[in-house]
Amino acid sequence: MKALLFLLSISLVLNAASTEVEPRLLYEEDASGLVSDIQVVLKTGSSEDPIGKTGLTNILAELILRGTKKQDRQKFQSTIEKLGATLAVGVFHDRIIFSGTVIKENTFEFMKLLEEALLQPKFDETEFNSLKVEMVNQIAHIKNSNNRLGGLAIRQELFKGTPLEKPSIGTLSSVRGLQIVDIRRAYNNTFHKQNLLFAVASPFKETQWKTVLKEMWMKFPDGAQKTRRIFEPKVPEGLTLIVVHKPKTSTGVLTFAQKGITAQDPERFTLGVGNFSFGGEPLVSRLFRTIRGELGWTYAINSGYGSMGPLSYQPGIYTIASTPSVEFTTKTLFKTLSSWQDYMRNGLKKDELTLAQESLVNSYPFEFESAEKRLGQKIHSELYDVPVLSQEEYQKTLQAAGNKELKKALKDRHTEKGWVIALVADKDVIAPQLAEEQKGTAPEHQLKIYSVVMPTDLIK
Amino acid sequence: MKSVMRRPFGLFIALLALPIWGASYEKVAEKKLFNGEVVKEYKLPNGLKVLLLSRSQAPVLTYQVWFDVGSLNEKTDQKLKKTGLAHLFEHMMFRGTKKYPDGKFDELTSRMGSDKQNATTYYYRTNYFESVPSYQLEKIMELESDRMANLILDGALLEKEKGAVVGELRRALDNPSRLAWDELMQLVFNEAPYRYTVLGTEEEIKGFTLEEAQYFYKTFYAPNNATIIVVGDVKEETLLPLVDKFYGSMKSQEIPKLNFKEEPPQKKERKWDGKHPQATSEILLLGYRIPSVNDAEITALSLLASHLSNGMEGRLRKALVDKGIAVSASAGVSHRPDLFEFSVALSEKHPAEEALKIIDREIALLHQSKIGKAAFERALNQELLSAYGSVDNNNSLANMLGEYLMISGNYMRGIEILEGYKKLSESDLQKAAKKYFTKENRSVVIVRPAKKGKTS
Repeated sequence: MKALLFLLSISLVLNAASTEVEPRLLYEEDASGLVSDIQVVLKTGSSEDPIGKTGLTNILAELILRGTKKQDRQKFQSTIEKLGATLAVGVFHDRIIFSGTVIKENTFEFMKLLEEALLQPKFDETEFNSLKVEMVNQIAHIKNSNNRLGGLAIRQELFKGTPLEKPSIGTLSSVRGLQIVDIRRAYNNTFHKQNLLFAVASPFKETQWKTVLKEMWMKFPDGAQKTRRIFEPKVPEGLTLIVVHKPKTSTGVLTFAQKGITAQDPERFTLGVGNFSFGGEPLVSRLFRTIRGELGWTYAINSGYGSMGPLSYQPGIYTIASTPSVEFTTKTLFKTLSSWQDYMRNGLKKDELTLAQESLVNSYPFEFESAEKRLGQKIHSELYDVPVLSQEEYQKTLQAAGNKELKKALKDRHTEKGWVIALVADKDVIAPQLAEEQKGTAPEHQLKIYSVVMPTDLIK
Repeated sequence: MKSVMRRPFGLFIALLALPIWGASYEKVAEKKLFNGEVVKEYKLPNGLKVLLLSRSQAPVLTYQVWFDVGSLNEKTDQKLKKTGLAHLFEHMMFRGTKKYPDGKFDELTSRMGSDKQNATTYYYRTNYFESVPSYQLEKIMELESDRMANLILDGALLEKEKGAVVGELRRALDNPSRLAWDELMQLVFNEAPYRYTVLGTEEEIKGFTLEEAQYFYKTFYAPNNATIIVVGDVKEETLLPLVDKFYGSMKSQEIPKLNFKEEPPQKKERKWDGKHPQATSEILLLGYRIPSVNDAEITALSLLASHLSNGMEGRLRKALVDKGIAVSASAGVSHRPDLFEFSVALSEKHPAEEALKIIDREIALLHQSKIGKAAFERALNQELLSAYGSVDNNNSLANMLGEYLMISGNYMRGIEILEGYKKLSESDLQKAAKKYFTKENRSVVIVRPAKKGKTS
């Protein structure tokens, strides 16, 4: 039933070595703000982790927050928190973001600490070992989250053999195997001038920030040219059902996934309009109205292109996810499939199309309602080379997305049956339910369980 | 380092109680937040309360309707005596009126560009909310007022909605943390109806009748049991005539008083130890009885929670997560039910008893000595940072005002607690810890994986 195309891995060469003399700063002044928000973005992420060392970038980033050459972890973190500040880090496949928030009175004192952390991390062996234990515990804890288990099963199937196969946090064995020397090497490869982007929303003037950030930026070394790698998910020819066995669940966590789209995809707005009314928007989407509203089989059902984060250079995946009551699990599976087939063939009805267009256009101001959100738009634009559209441009773009265009975009970007389906549920309940649901269907046309995996298999 | 404790927390309260512009509503008060913004309070003759905070940073607003009814009311109501209906009914509020049939409310609010549209039900309240572009104010008020007054309850739709609610319940039941909370409530409360879950049981949900839903609607969804909260880009001269237009003709009605037996003081430690089929590691949940949100000692208890829980230097994180014993550990104050909770998700192979021993050691430290100036300052500034974040956002500010109104009768209570931190000393925290963190005053819940746990 399942034949997979070869994985495509495309490498693109990014900008040549920079001759910049100023740091790149994205800025939003928030004159009445009570706090300053500072983001330091490193333009490489966990997809740089060497094979067998997934979780390396995550540990590196976390360890940056755990002590400097001048202050041990306790002193460093106490000082930050006494200032009325938080400093956290998020690691994604293509970026690392250090996010600081501080009450405005203490903004520039906080910046000294941030600089110290980024430029003079201690990489203390004891802290490193303690952090590894903490991460191993967190990875083991994923077994408690059926949603995350479903996501891992999808990744392992669609991105097998690529750095996206495993989550940024790593696996039990990869994290246990990391050494402090790996961390130091990764730091030297990552923390350099050309890899840095600053983004600030603050009550202070941009000129003040330029001075402070330039001073910090100049202290970083120049770095090597970076190569961006694109990891295409596999495209199964038919339905591939993977059951993650969790005994005695009351619900099934059902996730359909196939290749998604990039941030630069010219059809992204058309597909966004389509997805809104097909499954993207709770309460009004077709999936919600039928499978929850009419049939009452599930509490939640939605679809979207963002399950691996915002649209980026990676195509990522398109998903449809629901949590039906266990007795409706296979019914929901087949109903979702037939809804998708109808959507692929016929697109949206006229009122669904106008609903999506009106709603998206009218809610667009919320994307800019706060300095933090405006800054988020700028960061996305900078990282993925996509323009931030004005209200008028956005409206014009969405209104051009008719059903003819949608059907073409769906045909060009998606397949009717090329789904990997992860179902987290009790296999002994699902197998007979699946057989019952397909009574009367010829055996060769029946959907069968492709594989059963245990939660532990997904994190080991 | 500059101290932020000097930051002015001016709290100006003017009781006006004056009718304005000859209209049928009156301004009751104006109260200033620490950032200088003003919350205006109005009341209609039918009892409807309105809170408005005008700000013009963006052409959007948050519109919320809060009803002073939740699962406590239904369990104590002589005609119902069940739980789950308040929540099921909240779902039915999206199922249509004569003017806007099933699905139309969602469609229209979506078309107008609503953001964060949803509703929630808790023990003591139910709220409905959406954020919309400010030019859509009149339309959203028409829709919200229409379903408040003209809901049509349809038997077939009620049956369909029961399926979704059962799905919601089942999803919750698959979560071991949810079991821990439910068991804690049953352990702490022998009398008060907090011991019954908001979602109810599957049997109760499936058994609700159309007549019960109609009774619930007619009894509790009245203007004198509701508060409208608007935060965002709208002026009072625009808002108030619309409030009058859409809500002014609604009739007030007698609301059954929420009446239940107060929980007697706890005299000895209580324990529950059980299993959950989905749990892969142990969960420890502790609940200490504390006074209501209006009590002066809540300020000290709230700061204690910050000391224990906030930031990377939070005491529980350091003692449990950093040592590899737990995946997460936190403390917090709940109101209605009034509890101070410690919550720990253990790492695999670490028993809950290990975490309990460490928490006992931390509590002993709080009893024996003051937390120290630096730790006090850290806890305080972390609370301020969190509060600043809440006030900055339309939706979270409206939530804060509404939640405190429902738990204390005073929407400014959250701001007063922040103000109260200024007057606290380290000794106040020690005193509160000694008074409330005692073994006699606590209930202990342990949830274990089914394969390893003891018989409950």
